[in-house]
Amino acid sequence: MKEEGLSRRRFLTGAAAVGAAAVAAPTLLASCSGSSNKLTPLRKEGEYYVPELPDKAIDGPELKVGLVGCGGRGSGAIINLLDAADNIKVVALGDVFADRLNDVRNRLINERGQEVPEDKCFVGFDAYKQVIDSGIDMVILTTPPVFRPEQFKYATEKGVHSFLEKPIAIDPKGYRSVMATAKQAQAKGLSVVVGTQRHHERRYVEANKQIQAGLIGEITGGNVYWNQGMLWYRQREEGWTDMEWNIRDWVNWKWLSGDHIIEQHVHNIDVFLWMSGLKPVSATGFGSRQRRVTGDQYDFFSTDFTMENGIHMHSMCRQINGCSSKVSEFIQGSKGSWDSETNEIKDLQGNVIWKFDEEAVRKEFQQFDPYTLEHVDWVNHIRKGTAHEEASECAISCMAGIMGREAAYTGQTVTWDEMTQSPQDFLPEKLELGPLDLAAMTVPVPGN
Amino acid sequence: MCRRTALPVTSRLRERDKEELDFESKRTAEYAPKIVFNSSCKKCHTNLFPQDISDDGVAAHLYYEENEERLGLQCVSCHLDAGHYMPGYKHEKMTTAPVDTTGPVFTEPASVTSFKNFTETIPGTRASISMIAIPGGKFTMGSKEGDKFSRPDEYPAHEVTVSPFFMAEVEVTWNQYWAFYVETMSEGRTKPETIYANNSRPDVDAVAGPTPPFGMPDQGWGMGNRPAITMTHYAAETFCQWLSLKTGRHYRLPTEAEWEYAARGGTDTPYFFEGKPSAYSSMGLWNSIFGTDTTTINRYAVYALNSKSRTQEPSRVAANPFGLRNMLGNVMEYCQDWYAEDAYQKAGTSAVDPKGPATGTDYVVRGGCYQDDASELRCAARRHSDYEAWLKTDPQNPKSIWWLSDIKGIGFRVVCDAELNQRE
Repeated sequence: MKEEGLSRRRFLTGAAAVGAAAVAAPTLLASCSGSSNKLTPLRKEGEYYVPELPDKAIDGPELKVGLVGCGGRGSGAIINLLDAADNIKVVALGDVFADRLNDVRNRLINERGQEVPEDKCFVGFDAYKQVIDSGIDMVILTTPPVFRPEQFKYATEKGVHSFLEKPIAIDPKGYRSVMATAKQAQAKGLSVVVGTQRHHERRYVEANKQIQAGLIGEITGGNVYWNQGMLWYRQREEGWTDMEWNIRDWVNWKWLSGDHIIEQHVHNIDVFLWMSGLKPVSATGFGSRQRRVTGDQYDFFSTDFTMENGIHMHSMCRQINGCSSKVSEFIQGSKGSWDSETNEIKDLQGNVIWKFDEEAVRKEFQQFDPYTLEHVDWVNHIRKGTAHEEASECAISCMAGIMGREAAYTGQTVTWDEMTQSPQDFLPEKLELGPLDLAAMTVPVPGN
Repeated sequence: MCRRTALPVTSRLRERDKEELDFESKRTAEYAPKIVFNSSCKKCHTNLFPQDISDDGVAAHLYYEENEERLGLQCVSCHLDAGHYMPGYKHEKMTTAPVDTTGPVFTEPASVTSFKNFTETIPGTRASISMIAIPGGKFTMGSKEGDKFSRPDEYPAHEVTVSPFFMAEVEVTWNQYWAFYVETMSEGRTKPETIYANNSRPDVDAVAGPTPPFGMPDQGWGMGNRPAITMTHYAAETFCQWLSLKTGRHYRLPTEAEWEYAARGGTDTPYFFEGKPSAYSSMGLWNSIFGTDTTTINRYAVYALNSKSRTQEPSRVAANPFGLRNMLGNVMEYCQDWYAEDAYQKAGTSAVDPKGPATGTDYVVRGGCYQDDASELRCAARRHSDYEAWLKTDPQNPKSIWWLSDIKGIGFRVVCDAELNQRE
């Protein structure tokens, strides 16, 4: 990887110059500034993962890919992959619904000139097995998340590289399954990339380097947000079974999505866990449902996480129209803070001491889309044969989301130990397009 | 050449060793970590999450990875087939409770009309409990100055008056415990406070009891009249609640004072039988070289030197002057008191039926167990439960409120108020 040197950073103030220079070469600081407050790295280079993010993946022999889950994210992901690398052949598709599958199939024909043969288009709950058994090298798993752990397990057993759209675990049973499969994937030398795409977003990767180098000092706390308007929903249509309605409207049903504190907000929780390297030990929070039309989920959550070293991280997420929006992460350190909203690091006096310089980076790189770059990284690991798995890190972030959800649903403080060992399991025993016990799917009420 | 001539000698030595070695104790989970280390396990088992691992296995190994250092977890505490020479060992699970099915089912509790020994018959079960009438009296609780092996929490020795009560002749047996278990077994994770409060209500006629145990709670030693072990203090209290409800008499755990009074049986020496701790103990250089005197203690107590690393049936020992067996040794017994190191300093000089500190975190346990040195079996020796250490390998969370995963020599015995009127 090319060193991203000093030249591409814009120094806003004199103080910033000192700070940034210190990041690049901490030992020089004393001689440059006459100050003795040398930066102490949180983790040294090489002790944390920094993805290589070239605009495109390296060339190599043809890779055969299958797609399981042909919804909005699936159709986007397969196109992202084709943008990320050459010599990729889509050989199999799977979905529960033929209409969604055909949408993707037609899109691939029209936009990319790739026609998946009809006998490699599989419809049903077992489609993932058929796709994975189609002689593929790699698989994109983008169904609703409740199915992810089983699919990831099967792919790994068959030695297939996985791209796992987030979230990858929405209940404790799924968490444990993913943790075990992740270790198996690593042992098999597989490449597993996860759709928490901030890990492949240039501005986040660069900010993380500054934070790890010690620019904000020791991390002392954080706040993460995903506040937005109402999410989409589907009303039931004539002729749909309960299962069909639930799956077509999946972002509104707990058992399918895990609720939006995981389904969507895991992105932000994950950023704090990623950069701090800390796990939560307990969560206290609340949430409620005010506006949702379908399903059994909440509209908002507010959660206080106590991390393993005792510091706190607060998370909030809301999906209600007509309220302020904010989707970002803020990390406080002993010497400064970072805000992903502004891409800035400030010292404790409020002076900006670092800012992500997109203009400068654009002179070297054209590809800025993290959804594409995550596939670049995925393909590169596969073509270079380097084992790489992001699933365990993401599963831990998902577990944090599970803790937040259960804290709000029950009104109780929940602990890491309790939730990681909990028998909670959302995956129904019988999967078929038939009736469900909808009456039992009620909105949780905390307390007595 | 040398080897060949030396061989017969070696094999003679080996024959003798075989007889002297206590192989049973070398198979125990306590012994295994001394010869099998985690690092040697993990040298070959590099992936703790192999493809066919069960969800329980994943849960246990995630817990292990996160807590190995903090709790000192050992591979062999769970993998009993490794390092224990227990080939073919499997994680067995009790499918049905091994209830005693011999003899008649009792329909009525014992009729007790005077303060004399009686046998409680538990209605609806085949279980009975031999109860000894313990006369009230005054005794000196604690250790005398200079008592060998005594610890600070045994001081000051102080006078205590105890009212009459009945005490079970032996530690609660598996037969008695399973009778309780099959009637009260529960699944699920209701909070202890909720269960206890509910069980205590006078209008409730059924007690909620233990969940199924982790594995085979008798450790493969046999059930029957051996003392029931590995239950929590809470489970022991629930047993008493159940027994009270079944019989209409008030059964409970002994107070610490009642326990020591009963154990002494009117004696004021370190043991209720003849002999000194310094003679019986294996601690100390002299005894460790020349061996210990075991003739008298062997009749009365099951402890490290005669237990073969397991509990024994109560018939193995002779009773104390009150007629109680196994007060010292076999299993440690729960008392109802909270433990406090300084409890005796606050006990005063003329306590009557003291109940110990008002609050605490661990409970008093008394009497020592089959694994203990004779010094732990002194009538005055005090110990306490240890929630974290006794449950450190329990991978459930919250941890079981009914069964302990990391202690074996713990049981209890019941006492009954001398008040003879049955509850309505």
